Amino acid sequence: MGRMKGAIVVDTARCKGCALCVQACPKAVIAMGKRVNVSGYPYVEVICADECIGCASCGIVCPDGCITVYRKRIDD
Amino acid sequence: MAEQEVTLMKGNEAIARAAVRCGVDGYFGYPITPQSEVIETLALDKPWETTGMVVVQAESEVASINMVYGAAGAGKRAFTSSSSPGIALMQEGISYMAGAEIPGVVVNVQRGGPGLGTIQPSQSDYFQATRGGGNGDYNVIVLAPASVQEMADFVDLSFNLAFKYRNPVMILSDGVIGQMMERVVLPPYRPRRTEEEIRRECPWATMGRTKDRRPNIMTSLELKSEVMEVHNLHLQEKYRKIRETEVRYDTWQCDDADYVIVAFGSAARLAQKAIDMARDCGIKAGLFRPITLWPFPTEQIAAVAQGRKGILVVEINAGQMVEDVRLAVNGSTPVGHFGRLGGIVPEPDEIVDALRKMEN
Repeated sequence: MGRMKGAIVVDTARCKGCALCVQACPKAVIAMGKRVNVSGYPYVEVICADECIGCASCGIVCPDGCITVYRKRIDD
Repeated sequence: MAEQEVTLMKGNEAIARAAVRCGVDGYFGYPITPQSEVIETLALDKPWETTGMVVVQAESEVASINMVYGAAGAGKRAFTSSSSPGIALMQEGISYMAGAEIPGVVVNVQRGGPGLGTIQPSQSDYFQATRGGGNGDYNVIVLAPASVQEMADFVDLSFNLAFKYRNPVMILSDGVIGQMMERVVLPPYRPRRTEEEIRRECPWATMGRTKDRRPNIMTSLELKSEVMEVHNLHLQEKYRKIRETEVRYDTWQCDDADYVIVAFGSAARLAQKAIDMARDCGIKAGLFRPITLWPFPTEQIAAVAQGRKGILVVEINAGQMVEDVRLAVNGSTPVGHFGRLGGIVPEPDEIVDALRKMEN
């Protein structure tokens, strides 16, 4: 079994800053940002992309379907 | 039977899409978070190209509600939507509509207040919605959806009630229900009413005078107070009929409950989770959810309170519906309140803690 490497893309225009993904992420990849989107909501940002394992917990909990998760297997 | 199409969408999107399908004639609104997806969805779907529904971004909330006044005065199914500060601006128009007996629908996707407040969810417009909101002795029918499905379902219901009683109807939602995505089955398509149908169903509407009747005038003004009192008594009689026939509510796990949580809209959803958690810790709790906030289910709450150890009112505000619950219960059972303010949504375990405090 190889390791998983992940990457996420946040649809910041639809994010309402509920931060459920921040709590769900086991690797603290995501954090609330300081900027706000066009609706006025603070949105989440990826703060350490290298840590992402592509588990998709953030994508599963997001109530607005804002997070797309990409992953690929890295051979040891 | 054809299989129902289940889709995933936000509450605000459900309101917009349900309106198009229910044969609504016009939407007039002004963007405001957390409600903007209503007009955004309509702009995206372009119903003027399919059903002929008119969609206008007005120059303000005051203009929006008065456009609804004009359209509904002509017998059209028209609605507007906004969030708390915008709804505050509309109160003059809503009062005029109540006075002139004009059937329109207003959607309030509440946010924290007072003033411009926050853009996060709140239920702090309960007083404004259920006491009329503007000047004069009047009420609007207030429906409180607790799911995206109810956002969709209450559109047609609102218009039916509005035209049945010639009275404004408000859908009192909030930033939770408006913004969250859930499964929803939209109503089937129904064509907009034809001019002939409107003439038949709304003989009061201003759509061109015919030779066999006097002109129809939509106004809330009357200079003779004797005439105005008679008009007010007529309105009060109408409100009495609505109170008698249109109360809607829901109960959940109440049969064996020692404690009943009374909550509406999104707070009722939080309460359901809290009730599950409380039952796991041995506290028997149930839920009473008013669906119509006006008319308020006073008698039903009085009945459900009998023999309970306590009633806990959970609201995302400083304590508004709790006053109506206390009036209903009338001292027969202790009534407590739990709420968070300013756009903070309560956690279910905070509600369980509030239940525990009632127990001690």
